[in-house]
Amino acid sequence: MSYSEKVIDHYNNPRNVGSLPKGDTAVGTGLVGAPECGDVMKLQVRVNPETGVIDDAKFKTFGCGSAIASSSLATEWLKGKTLEQALEIKNVDIVQELSLPPVKIHCSVLAEDAIKAAIADYKRKQQDGQ
Amino acid sequence: MTGLRNRLSDGLRRELDEIYINGSVEHRLPGNLNVSFAYVEGESLLMGINDIAVSSGSACTSATLEPSYVLKALGTSDELAHSSIRFGLGRFNTEEEVDFVVQKVSAVVKRLREMSPLYELAKEHEEVKIRG
Repeated sequence: MSYSEKVIDHYNNPRNVGSLPKGDTAVGTGLVGAPECGDVMKLQVRVNPETGVIDDAKFKTFGCGSAIASSSLATEWLKGKTLEQALEIKNVDIVQELSLPPVKIHCSVLAEDAIKAAIADYKRKQQDGQ
Repeated sequence: MTGLRNRLSDGLRRELDEIYINGSVEHRLPGNLNVSFAYVEGESLLMGINDIAVSSGSACTSATLEPSYVLKALGTSDELAHSSIRFGLGRFNTEEEVDFVVQKVSAVVKRLREMSPLYELAKEHEEVKIRG
C-alpha cells in the first residue's frame, strides 16, 4: 500500500489529536463508524455561540493511515469556518487533498459524516438549551 | 526459533496490556506469532513500523481490507481481527532484532492508543470489554 506524502505527514504529525469536554454547551461531538469495520472516528468542534465560528476542533480515530489523515485534515479545515462553511466540506475535497486511492475513499466519506455528526450534535444542544 | 518467538511474545506482553495471541499458543509454527493489539487498527500500526517486515490479518488476506477469515475461524472478533499483526520469524533473526521489534511496536501501539477513541472509551468506562 503506497501512501501519499500528505497522508504520511498527517500520520506522523497528526493535527489536533485530543478531546473537548463533551458536556460543554459549545461543543459538538460526532462519533461515526464501527470497530467491526476497522474504522471509528470521533470528531469534536467548539463553536463560538456569538459568531457561529468553529474556534477549535479535535479528533481521535481508530483506523488506517488514510482514516487518520482524513480526520486530522478535517480538524484543520474546520477551524475558523462557520457551521455553514463546515457543512460544505465534501469527501471528494479530502480525497483530492490527500490523493486517496479508490480503495480508501470510504475514509474520506467517514470524515465528512463525522463533521456533519459533530455539527448536528452542537445544533441539537442549542435547541435543547443544554 | 520458538525461543525467539516466545521472547517476542513475552516482551510485548511485558510492555503492553490488552494484547491477545490469536490461535493456539502450543500448536502453531514455531516462528509464527499473530497478535491483536486492542484499540489499535492493524494497518495504522504497520505504517509506524515500516522498518520491520510484518503483515496485518493472516498471510492469505494481507493484501486486502477484509478482516481475515482465518482469524474469524479461530474465534477472533471482527474488531480484534482488524487490530492484528502477523510476525514471521526465520532462522536468521536474532535476539537483538526481537528486542528492537518489542520496543518499536510497543511505542507505536502506545502512541496510536492515545489517538484512539476506542481506547478513550475503554478507559472512561472500564465496563466496556472487547470479547475476543
